[in-house]
Amino acid sequence: MKSTKIAALLSAGLLLAGLTACSSSTDASGGTSAPAAKAESNWPQKGKTVDLIVAYAPGGSVDTAARVVAPALEKELGVNVQVTNKPGAGGQIGYTALANSKPDGYTIGAVSAPSVVVTPLDPSRGATFTRESFLPLARQVFDPQVIAVKSDSKFKDLKSLIDYAKAHPGELSATTTGIQTGEHFAMTAVEDVTGAKFNLVAFSEGAASAMAAFLGGHVDIYVGNVSDIVDSGSDNLRVIGVMGEERSPSLPDAHTFKEEGYDVDEGTARGYVAPAGVPDDVAKKLEDAMGKVIQDPAVVDQLAKLGLPTAYLDSADYAEYWTQQETRYKKYLPQMMADAK
Amino acid sequence: MDVLNELLGGFANALTLQNLLFAFIGCVIGTLVGVLPGVGPVAGTAILIPLTLSMDPTSAIIMLGAIFYGSQYGGTITSVLLNTPGEASSAVTVIDGYQMTKKGRAGVALGIAAIGSFVGGTVATAGLVVAAKPLGSLGLKVGPPEFFGLMVLGISLLVALAGKSMVKALLSGVIGLLIALVGIDPTVGAPRFTFGSANLLDGVSFVAVIVGIFGLSEILVSATAQGSTKSLTGGLRAMLPNRQDLRRAAPAIGRGTVIGFSTGLVPGLTGTVTSLLSYGAESKFSRFRKQLGTGAIEGVAGPETANNAHANSALIPLFTLGIPASPTIAVLMGAFLQQGLTPGPSLFTQHSEIAWAIIASLFIGNLICLILNVPLIGVWTSILKIPHGILLAVIMIFLVVGSYTINYNVFDVFVMILFGIVGLVFRRLDIPLAPLVLTLVLGPLMERSLRESLEISQGDFSIFTRPFALTFIIIGAFVLLTPLLKIRKPAALNVDPEA
Repeated sequence: MKSTKIAALLSAGLLLAGLTACSSSTDASGGTSAPAAKAESNWPQKGKTVDLIVAYAPGGSVDTAARVVAPALEKELGVNVQVTNKPGAGGQIGYTALANSKPDGYTIGAVSAPSVVVTPLDPSRGATFTRESFLPLARQVFDPQVIAVKSDSKFKDLKSLIDYAKAHPGELSATTTGIQTGEHFAMTAVEDVTGAKFNLVAFSEGAASAMAAFLGGHVDIYVGNVSDIVDSGSDNLRVIGVMGEERSPSLPDAHTFKEEGYDVDEGTARGYVAPAGVPDDVAKKLEDAMGKVIQDPAVVDQLAKLGLPTAYLDSADYAEYWTQQETRYKKYLPQMMADAK
Repeated sequence: MDVLNELLGGFANALTLQNLLFAFIGCVIGTLVGVLPGVGPVAGTAILIPLTLSMDPTSAIIMLGAIFYGSQYGGTITSVLLNTPGEASSAVTVIDGYQMTKKGRAGVALGIAAIGSFVGGTVATAGLVVAAKPLGSLGLKVGPPEFFGLMVLGISLLVALAGKSMVKALLSGVIGLLIALVGIDPTVGAPRFTFGSANLLDGVSFVAVIVGIFGLSEILVSATAQGSTKSLTGGLRAMLPNRQDLRRAAPAIGRGTVIGFSTGLVPGLTGTVTSLLSYGAESKFSRFRKQLGTGAIEGVAGPETANNAHANSALIPLFTLGIPASPTIAVLMGAFLQQGLTPGPSLFTQHSEIAWAIIASLFIGNLICLILNVPLIGVWTSILKIPHGILLAVIMIFLVVGSYTINYNVFDVFVMILFGIVGLVFRRLDIPLAPLVLTLVLGPLMERSLRESLEISQGDFSIFTRPFALTFIIIGAFVLLTPLLKIRKPAALNVDPEA
């Protein structure tokens, strides 16, 4: 009697585990099948759903932006668009699932650079996708990196900070959110261009913990995106440098690095992609739809509230931008890995 | 007083029928989210945010906030009744809560948890009203070295959790640390112990581990025992805590409130850490600490009060500084931002009415959750009347589905199953589970804060001689070492005053 019960329970449990395994693997392992030979000219078919894979946890800025885009995209395409979260490993889990999904136009994904660009470049991460696994559809956001100091800091502008850092290499501490994150690349670029040297402290818990350490006076400089500053609502800091082409509309008084004479252009780029191999006409429809949605004033407005500036690039320009980013990161990567030791 | 006027105005707004309704809905959803293992307030809140965008901002935040602290009430239910944590922060409650259920005191456990949660939540909210700004700045003073000191102190509680055999407790603790090592090394950025699997790059999922090691192991133990398929109750002696229970639980509730309130102020200390610290404190300071692990009411009252106090006090850094203290609060912050409200000092100057309505609603919401949960105790405990075999099979479904919903990844289900077997082995060998949970949670935090401190000081260990950091480290070392130095007490002094 006893052993039957054990057997029954265990087999029931294993069956359930097996069922969940089967059902979820079908959407992830569509396999890298050859691109559909027949033209899907009736895409999107009514009644089918487009899956928007977000490689990050619900509530984060990538997820939030996707959840603003999804309903608008639904209206544009006339079919359901569903956001699916596949978080983990800094995006690698979701990107892998996206790269492996069927290129029939019914699965697209949200990506964020530098993670999507850097992950394939680092051999220890064992990524199974590369840049060629994706077809860029549209870039939505370019969120420049900024440098901020406390309001009562002796550094009133960027020049005084850089000069001090050059004279006292490694003395000023600056926050990043980890190895090979946007902040790490940004500061490596700054050090490369200006010749200054900083002591980078990684707060792997994220921007909030970096901000807390900075506001508590444990670290001298806060490095983060414009959206981190806008979200924080703190009045105890001063942004002294923005690493974008132009001043950020959310921070109109903050000078850009370029204005001050330092050629640094770094930030987080977020956009949407489809797996490579999607038929041309489907791809075109997706690109056009994304373009319309991203530039829709209501969507732009919602993102602006989150501090995310819309900087639309269409498919071709986005691909070009991605290549440039990858080239730059390849250049910095060896030095960054050496620094980390 | 100016603040009092504002608060009264807030109550006027919060007590409208609409806002009361949304607070109620939030409590209900929060309780449900808390009950389901694997689904947490993060996912629940994030998914609902788009729906709330068309709502009035005050009502939206009231509801989302209620989901957040409501989930702390709900997580207790499955922990106590089914030995399966519904929330990571209720993991510790299973230890004594389930023992109480076995003794027929499930209702008492749920009742004292609800009451303690109410007290903790209300006191924390009062703290928010009275001293938000200074407390917020105080929380910021805890930097990486102080955080490390706290973690040393926390891990030293391992000693208090040891129970009968120190060796077995240390074994359990070390295994927890080993599991915690899996993932990406934060210093170098390279994977460690992942064996090439992308699924392990984030480490082993904590919720999957506790759902397996407590929940699944319980099922396996029952299945392998000489069991009948009768129901579990064996006579519910009491449905609600009586005066004696309340008197005995009062000190634990007091300690839990203080601990929960303090940890909420420090970004990085989550509800899980809080409940662990509270359990450890009970092991050290409670008059009846020898009964912990066998169904002592302190083991439920302390952690449950602490995690609710934490949930409410964690709003202080959000309101005063705009800093989310944990991922859950970060989601709530996203909700604020999407409504066009920026949490932080400007919230009180630009949107004062909304801010105070939300704060007033925290008081009301805690009360609603209490009223919601206490009468339902009878309903929840009737689950126990279901024949044991069927109940276990149904729980099995929840465990599998719950583990899947953590990351929508089947891998976590397998982790859960593995740790179910580990839990079975531990229980057969009489190895305590609590130390493993403790080190699994605190270990990574300790490593992280150690590394951050040394990066700031560029390798100089003297950064740990900062006053508070040093104090915590010394106390922690002291706690760890005293058992070695303790003179053996005469046996007569070990008799409990109240058995």
